[in-house]
Order: sequence, then C-alpha cells, then structure tokens
Amino acid sequence: MFLIPCPYCGERDQSEFAYAYQAHVHRPKDPDRLTDKEWADFVFIRDNPKGVFAERWIHAAGCRRYFNLMRNTATDEILAVYRIDEPQPKVEPALPATPSGEAPIGSGNDAVKVVKPAERGS
Amino acid sequence: MLEPDRRSPLHHRTEISAEEAAHLRELPFQGKIVLRGDAGSIGDAAADVLGAQLPVEPCGSALGANLAILWIGPDEWWIITEAGVERDTQARLSVALQGRHHQTVDVTDYYTTIEVAGLRVIEMLSKLTTLDLHRRAFPLGRVAGSMFAQTQATLWHAGSDEYDSPSFRLFVRWTTADYLWCLLAEAGREFGLPVQEPLAGETWRLAR
Ligand SMILES: [Zn+2]
Repeated sequence: MFLIPCPYCGERDQSEFAYAYQAHVHRPKDPDRLTDKEWADFVFIRDNPKGVFAERWIHAAGCRRYFNLMRNTATDEILAVYRIDEPQPKVEPALPATPSGEAPIGSGNDAVKVVKPAERGS
Repeated sequence: MLEPDRRSPLHHRTEISAEEAAHLRELPFQGKIVLRGDAGSIGDAAADVLGAQLPVEPCGSALGANLAILWIGPDEWWIITEAGVERDTQARLSVALQGRHHQTVDVTDYYTTIEVAGLRVIEMLSKLTTLDLHRRAFPLGRVAGSMFAQTQATLWHAGSDEYDSPSFRLFVRWTTADYLWCLLAEAGREFGLPVQEPLAGETWRLAR
C-alpha cells in the first residue's frame, strides 16, 4: 500500500488518487503573441527530473480536490503536500549521493562515478 | 423498489439479513442535494434552512432537521433527506442563498443508498476498500469517499442498528449499484448472509 497525504482528508491509499502532471505550469497571459515554439513548449514540454519534482494530484475518489505534491521521483518519497492556493514550500530533501540511491560505482551514473586511481591508466 | 413512475437501481434486489452478523438493504429514492459554496459566506443562511451548521471539519457530518449534511470537500456538502422532500429542500436553500455565490444540484437519481450494518460489517467492507474502518479511525458520523473494489462510493457511518452494531450508508452511482450490492452480498456470505434467488440479469454468481 502506497499512502498519499491529501491536504484535506489525510493519508489515503494511492488507489483513490489520480496523477495530474507537473505543477506550477502557468497559462500564458497573452497567447496571441506567442511564437509557435513558445506555444508548443507550454502545451507539450514538461520537466522530467530525477529527484525533486512538484506535481499535481487529484483525490479523485475522495474529496475530488486538486492539490500539489513534491516528490523525489527516484525514491517516490513524498517531501511536501500543499493546497493549490499555497506557495511552493522549500524542501531540504536528504537525497542520497545518487538520486535513486544506487551504488556510485558501476551505476552508470557518470556524474557521480568514483574513479579509483588504479583505473585511471598510465 | 418499484413506483408507478420510477424504479430504483436495486429494485430487483430484496433485503438480505444474517440477523445480527450483517444485513443489507437499499434505501431507494433518498433525497441527495449537492451544495457548493464558501462556508463563511453561505454557512449561516444554509443553517437556517437545514437546522445545523455546515460541517467544516474534513470527513465530518452533521444532523439537521430530518436531514443529514455530509462533508464531501472543503467547499462541497451533500444534503441527505427523506425520499420525496429533496426538491422542497433545494428550493428553500435557493431562496435562502439568493445573492450569495453558491450552487445546488439535485443528484437524487444519480446515486442510490445501500445500508449495510451488523456485527461483522467492518470485516465485510474491509474486503472491498482500503479505508481504515476501526471505530477509532472511522467513528460515528465520519464520511469518506473511496474505492470499493472497482467502483467509487461515499461511505457514511450513520448510526447503529437494532443490535447496537455500526450501521453504514454507501452512496453509489446508479450504474454500479448492482455491482457493489453483489460484492457486499458475497462479502457477507461467510458471516451467514443468505444466497439470493438467481435473477435474470444476474451479474455476479452468488452460489458456490
Ligand atoms: Zn481528499
């Protein structure tokens, strides 16, 4: 069971919720002046981070309200839950050395890969 | 229940009972009105009509004059009335709330009510839902929408039955009412709910 805390109803099972994609995507104030590329960016392009992500959920089977949630996409840890009318809170996630917690060696994550002196060659 | 001009979604079902262990029946045509608005703006005027303040505590309910008010969301309540008086209640609400931003919708024929009660009712419902129904987590008066197997329904801990066991009301959409009824009947079989006579259009095989 994967529990999601609704800001109104409290912790409920994931099966009561539906995902509603990235939060804080604002509709352009003056869409007539947008270039096609800007419009396409607004309509189609979303962030897809490995790590902290602010997203919308709806408590579809319960109170049927949308709310925002900050989640570590690598571990599914829920870092903050807040109403649509509340500002995005600051979170200080205890992220592992690699976002999903895999071992730094042999993980394929070159950004954190530890290269031992012996491997360096020459 | 069959009436000359309408029939309820579970008209082909009859009340089934395993004495104090569990019993199951439809409460057809109960009035159901959705009221939406800001509690601070419509609360007092609505309370004059309903006989109770709108419950603002999440998942709470209040009992008014021959009706109940269920918290559905932070700006949404259901008014549950006796059969036949929903239009009058809605009309009186509309008059009282005139000039204030609000909405009332009569959803009497969109949902039906299933009453399920008895000593084993929590075990029966727990087979179908992930809600914590322990009396500390789901006390008298508590309301929650959730999934019951594959259908959504709103559960209300409405009172006690004649044996002093908890009595719940389930508000379920017309089209999935029979599905939920059959699952509840099946869930109560091990506690003695009798098998119903097979009916034409049976969607769930109760006999084993
Ligand atoms: Zn909720």
